[in-house]
Amino acid sequence: MIVEHLELTNFRNYAAAEVHFTPGTTALIGANGQGKTNLAEALTFLATLESFRGVPVDVLIRNGEDTAIVRAQVRHPDGREVLIEAELTRTGRNRVQVNKQRLVRARDLLGVMRTTVFSPGDLALIQGGPGERRRFLDDALVAVAARNDTMRREVDRIVRQRNAFLKQIGWKTNPSALSGDETLTLDVWDEKLAEVGGQWGDARAHLVAQLQPMVTRAYEDLATQVTPIDFVYEPEWRRIGLARALAASRAEDLRRGLTTTGPHRDDLEMSVNGLPARTHASQGEQRTLALALRLATHRLVTDTMGSPPVLVLDDVLSELDPDRATALLTHMPKGQVIITSASGLPTTAHPDRILHIAAGTVTNN
Amino acid sequence: MSAYTPPVQALIDELGRLPGVGPKSAQRIALHLLKAEDHDVARLAEAIVIAKKRVRFCERCFNIADENLCPICTDTRREGSMLCVVEEARDIIAIEKTGVFRGRYHVLLGAISPMDGIGPEQLKIRELLTRLEPETVREVIVCTNPTIEGDVTAMYLARALSTLDIKVTRIGTGLPVGGDLEYADELTLGRALEGRHELRD
Ligand SMILES: Nc1ncnc2c1ncn2[C@@H]1O[C@H](COP(=O)(O)OP(=O)(O)OP(=O)(O)O)[C@@H](O)[C@H]1O
Ligand SMILES: [Mg+2]
Ligand SMILES: [Zn+2]
Repeated sequence: MIVEHLELTNFRNYAAAEVHFTPGTTALIGANGQGKTNLAEALTFLATLESFRGVPVDVLIRNGEDTAIVRAQVRHPDGREVLIEAELTRTGRNRVQVNKQRLVRARDLLGVMRTTVFSPGDLALIQGGPGERRRFLDDALVAVAARNDTMRREVDRIVRQRNAFLKQIGWKTNPSALSGDETLTLDVWDEKLAEVGGQWGDARAHLVAQLQPMVTRAYEDLATQVTPIDFVYEPEWRRIGLARALAASRAEDLRRGLTTTGPHRDDLEMSVNGLPARTHASQGEQRTLALALRLATHRLVTDTMGSPPVLVLDDVLSELDPDRATALLTHMPKGQVIITSASGLPTTAHPDRILHIAAGTVTNN
Repeated sequence: MSAYTPPVQALIDELGRLPGVGPKSAQRIALHLLKAEDHDVARLAEAIVIAKKRVRFCERCFNIADENLCPICTDTRREGSMLCVVEEARDIIAIEKTGVFRGRYHVLLGAISPMDGIGPEQLKIRELLTRLEPETVREVIVCTNPTIEGDVTAMYLARALSTLDIKVTRIGTGLPVGGDLEYADELTLGRALEGRHELRD
């Protein structure tokens, strides 16, 4: 899948801009604070309907304006052309059109356009809390199958409903103090969470098993040496089954008024050279691992879908030493790449097109 | 810091509390009403008041009714041994359109949703339980929405009825997940009804 053309209206620091990409590599070059990341953000917004910087939609609308418009012309490998248009409003209600047809639910856009993003913020995948790594896994599951988005949101909703119920009855800290009706209600929430949460755990475990060799390979390509990378996704609840785990933690859940076990509490433990990445790996190793996670996901989505997503690399070169930067550029996956840099590109990079970005204007040369 | 005078703002606020009406639409409807002829507005207000006064819930099944009982409950040709449980009265209309179901209904007036403060006691579940024996119901078909809350309500009912000698079934798959029953087309809904499966706990 290739983005041929992107048009922005009142998006971030762009009043109006039009950009043509090549099917190969397009470099966005410009000084700090000119709009390189903003452009990448607009493009990837159409794939996920959210900012990869984790900010709310109203931040994306140009200061002083009510709405922003992002429009992209996309070409699929079978030659199909798709025009995607999103109107962002300050209330957070996005209006989305595909080929001029309004989508009833904006989320039906997921899967129409696919991107893989790496940005400096991805260091949080290694350094941040378990939630960062859960989001990484869950985003990847949605990327390989858009329908996973439904299950992901179901798990989230069941946990929130169960927590709301626990809070309502939480003053009864002993399960035997619950009325028959309360026990029955909690039982059915447990059953539903065990069913859907259990499936989500299986999906994550399967994904981790698929990703591990791909991450190892991507890391090796970047570091130009064999480096053991290990993943452990083994939450306790998966060993005994979520139904039993929920039963076992019922008293604790009642006391705390929240669900203390389940997929919403999991972590993915990662190690480099046999040592935990979060606490032991060097800054450069952590960056390399974060990038390897993205590149591996990119490959997995490519293999699953049969064609590569658009690879967006924001400021990746400033993150790596010259050898690793060169290694990245020589092992660049096939497909369309959009790469930003504030300090020009090394000579090993051969972009097909260079766009210069200055104060929200794009010039081609 | 409303730009409207208090009466206009009050109207906008009231309209905004209606289901499916956001702040923008509330504003648009309010301004439309203020521009409309006096008698048109009076007619609308009257229609609301009269409907609210005359229409009530069926005493037995909680469908919309204008007598004590709704037309379905009084229709002797309906199969009394089959009871279809739905969340809202509008779901009855959707199911009736399929022409597949000839039994009677029971409206819960919602689904279990702790976040909205709705538990089994807030729903017409006790009323459902008291209907089963006198009406010699053999099968309860749970047609709550294909959402988390609809599913959990169905599971709750299956457990609550498990001690009785009654078959509890759930409407089949094929319905768009996460949606409302009323959004499914007649064919899909009809098929889902015919493809119902037994719920056990
Ligand atoms: N909603 C907005 N309205 C107007 N301007 C905005 C808005 N959001 C961000 N900006 C401005 O956009 C500018 C460019 O931001 P961007 O992150 O794209 O820079 P960049 O080119 O990637 O720079 P760097 O090399 O430092 O990463 C910033 O100076 C910021 O002030
Ligand atoms: Mg930037
Ligand atoms: Zn009735």
